[in-house]
Amino acid sequence: MREDKKTPSVRKLRVRKSHIKTRLVLFLLLTAALMLTVIFAQQICPYDPNAQDTSISLQPPSLEHLAGTDRFGRDMFSRILVGLQTSVLSTLCLVVIITVAGTAAGILCGYYGGILDSVVMRISDVCLAFPGLVFALAIASLLGGGLHNAVFALAVISWPKYARIARSQTLSVKNTDYISAARLAGGNSIQIIIRHVLPNSIGPILVTSMLDIGTMLMELAGLSFLGLGAQPPTAELGNMMSGGRSMLQTYPWVIIGPGIAIFAAVVIFNLLGDTFRDYLDPRNSRRN
Amino acid sequence: MEPILTADNLTKIFDEKGKEKFTAVDHISFQLYPGETLGIVGESGSGKSTLAKMISRLTDITEGNLFLCGKEITRVKGKALRRAYEDIQMVFQSPAASFDPRRTLGDGIGESLRNHGVSKVNVQKEAVRLLKECGLSPEFADRYPHEVSGGQCQRAAIARALAIRPKILICDEATSALDVTVQQQIMELLGRMREEREIACIFICHNLGLVQSFCDRLLVMYEGKIVEEGTPDEVIKNPRSDYTKELIEAVL
Ligand SMILES: Nc1ncnc2c1ncn2[C@@H]1O[C@H](COP(=O)(O)OP(=O)(O)OP(=O)(O)O)[C@@H](O)[C@H]1O
Ligand SMILES: [Mg+2]
Repeated sequence: MREDKKTPSVRKLRVRKSHIKTRLVLFLLLTAALMLTVIFAQQICPYDPNAQDTSISLQPPSLEHLAGTDRFGRDMFSRILVGLQTSVLSTLCLVVIITVAGTAAGILCGYYGGILDSVVMRISDVCLAFPGLVFALAIASLLGGGLHNAVFALAVISWPKYARIARSQTLSVKNTDYISAARLAGGNSIQIIIRHVLPNSIGPILVTSMLDIGTMLMELAGLSFLGLGAQPPTAELGNMMSGGRSMLQTYPWVIIGPGIAIFAAVVIFNLLGDTFRDYLDPRNSRRN
Repeated sequence: MEPILTADNLTKIFDEKGKEKFTAVDHISFQLYPGETLGIVGESGSGKSTLAKMISRLTDITEGNLFLCGKEITRVKGKALRRAYEDIQMVFQSPAASFDPRRTLGDGIGESLRNHGVSKVNVQKEAVRLLKECGLSPEFADRYPHEVSGGQCQRAAIARALAIRPKILICDEATSALDVTVQQQIMELLGRMREEREIACIFICHNLGLVQSFCDRLLVMYEGKIVEEGTPDEVIKNPRSDYTKELIEAVL
């Protein structure tokens, strides 16, 4: 519906909204490019990322080896691409796990309340009781490292945030008249949750998970850096940086390359998350 | 005649942690007979909505019993409660808030039928038919709640409540959020539906003038209790409590 009288503030809102849309499209394109790189990393990397050739070890970046070679003579550019794939895919996996698990737990707690709510919320309190990364470190080292265990450890410390958001969203949705109407329509709890509670609570949860991709990427790379994530020879950005850390002054490219890759991926995901949040922010849109 | 709905000493006590106990509905008993319209009036905060929610089992009943067609439904759950909802439906005060903002009106109207296994195509047809019956064109089935006016939305809400062919319709201030002319139209629609479908109606309102011509019987509530009961004429001509006198003066 169009309004004839446009107050200045409305016009400003429109401008801001279209501005956000442009940004969203731009960052979506950037993310799409990143994702294509990630998905086809094996196909586009110029060399076998694991092929060793000690005769060309630790060469500086050149046209032949765009990011130089590491101490085993492996092509850094290929390893960065494949490492990016490992990092980004396991991060996305992690974010999906915590989003789904946290949301399910939060919605069920909020909707049913009672003992279930108390028990699950106390468990989440325990998960939040220790400083996050320290706790994750403890879990990962207890489980003995490895990418799967690192993902699990980070999942344990991160799901409560989602459970909390989902729970509070559910609590506010639960008391609306349209949920009462859905009850009167004879729906059972599962139907009501799937049809009405979930769609009306998911917005802020999705925004949080978008914003979390960058953070999780860093934390996962951090665990790998400390030797608790992906194990060599698997190329992963964190363990690549860790492997090259003694050579920062002499052969800086072995650590700067993966560093730039992490930085770029984190920035892209954060920009997308921020814009997505602005886009969904009701203050920037007019519902008529 | 058997009453269709019997409320026996219904009581609601809000007992929240850290707060004082509060009795919102205090031992209310009444009977509703098939086809009749029972008006409930009372000022804001007198417990009308709480009572409506107890009758429709949207909130728990602290004390007392509720019978639907002779069967007790005070504490039924699950399937039995869903069966009770085939007979009891409700129209809410704020029409837009009573529809899921992410679903079309047609979806909302057809939900009860869909829950009872009616096929999608037939649900759609029925939703359109109901909309027409309530004075809305078929295109409203595809509109979202924020795309229609309050009056139109309330018509859709009435269509939704009637979809399952209930025996009892509870209207909790169904017209309070609307302006006077639209209010009149909605009252007419409710009146017509009540006649055509022989529905018993519980009509909650804080405006004595509005219920006077619409109801067969009247309850006046004050602080959770019934202070007056009778036909509208009786109540208006011979008010027994001071509160009712005030109410009448406010209308005249
Ligand atoms: N969930 C609740 N917890 C505690 N107190 C409540 C709750 N719901 C309602 N009340 C209280 O119960 C009383 C009755 O509320 P109710 O909504 O039934 O009034 P009402 O007659 O419908 O008023 P109105 O005409 O404004 O709709 C109020 O004093 C209210 O504060
Ligand atoms: Mg009320």
